[in-house]
Amino acid sequence: MKFAVVVFPGSNCDHDAYHAAKHVLGQTAEFVWHKDTSLKGADVVVLPGGFAHGDYLRTGAIARFSPIMQEVTRFAGAGGPVLGICNGFQVLLEAGLLPGAMLRNRSVKFQCEHVLIGVEHSDTPFTASCHVGQVLRLPIAHGEGNYYAEPDVVERLEANRQVVFRYVNQAGEATAGANPNGSVHNIAGLCNEARNVVGLMPHPERACELVLGSTDGLVIFESAVASVSQGTFAGIQ
Amino acid sequence: MRARVFVTLKPSVFDPQGTTVAEGLHTLGFTAVKDVRQGKYFELDIDTATSEEAHRLASEAADKLLANPVIESYRIEVDPQAEETGR
Repeated sequence: MKFAVVVFPGSNCDHDAYHAAKHVLGQTAEFVWHKDTSLKGADVVVLPGGFAHGDYLRTGAIARFSPIMQEVTRFAGAGGPVLGICNGFQVLLEAGLLPGAMLRNRSVKFQCEHVLIGVEHSDTPFTASCHVGQVLRLPIAHGEGNYYAEPDVVERLEANRQVVFRYVNQAGEATAGANPNGSVHNIAGLCNEARNVVGLMPHPERACELVLGSTDGLVIFESAVASVSQGTFAGIQ
Repeated sequence: MRARVFVTLKPSVFDPQGTTVAEGLHTLGFTAVKDVRQGKYFELDIDTATSEEAHRLASEAADKLLANPVIESYRIEVDPQAEETGR
């Protein structure tokens, strides 16, 4: 199966995602430039981390207008699995493919460390191979990961089981101390109502090999492979 | 004419940058400063016949791009006297 990794000017985790898909998982992977208008028949689309368009105006605000985003929106609307990592998550928020927005971290610092996140739901294409309650140790690297949405929106996210990942402690509890950026309800990642679009701030693609300090991110990509091969979340392409 | 667009976080949204600036001001002795809200400022040179039309355009621009309605609100001032290319 084929992963498409979208490359915006300023993306800097595109090669990490490509490497994880192609060299660690042995799948086909292809870069797609933001001015391209085709996803080249991909089964899974990854919006990688970085600083698309220099984070000008707001993180992800300009990337939303890149020509490829029309195709990403169409792919997502047709049920295709889309994963937004860090800046890719911010792009999904600005594009309206996921609800809410990002604020500056509560610490006003760029947080660069390993954190723990708990998997809350396994019925998304990127958590299908996880078990509910599984704790993953993944790196974060962001200045604006303080997830915010109006209280009624957060309530709806919880009711619809759209909070896929939450910052947790070793015991898997979503405590204030486990929250690195001030995100409401310790939200680290979420999905859309159709569950095929997932965004998260931590970087699974940077945690797929032991040499990088953790292999906990591998299960996210394995989930995508399993979902697509079982036809659970297949796009129309 | 010129439209000035002031974008700020909604009152209900916590502003970590504003809070940090306020703490800095307190350290400098500005104890009378009770709170700081940080925002963005845009100047739009607009070619329209009326200031109402300029206001409408600036408002649409703010809705669609300059502000994120999830977290931000905005205020617009139109200055019909401003030179289009002057500063």
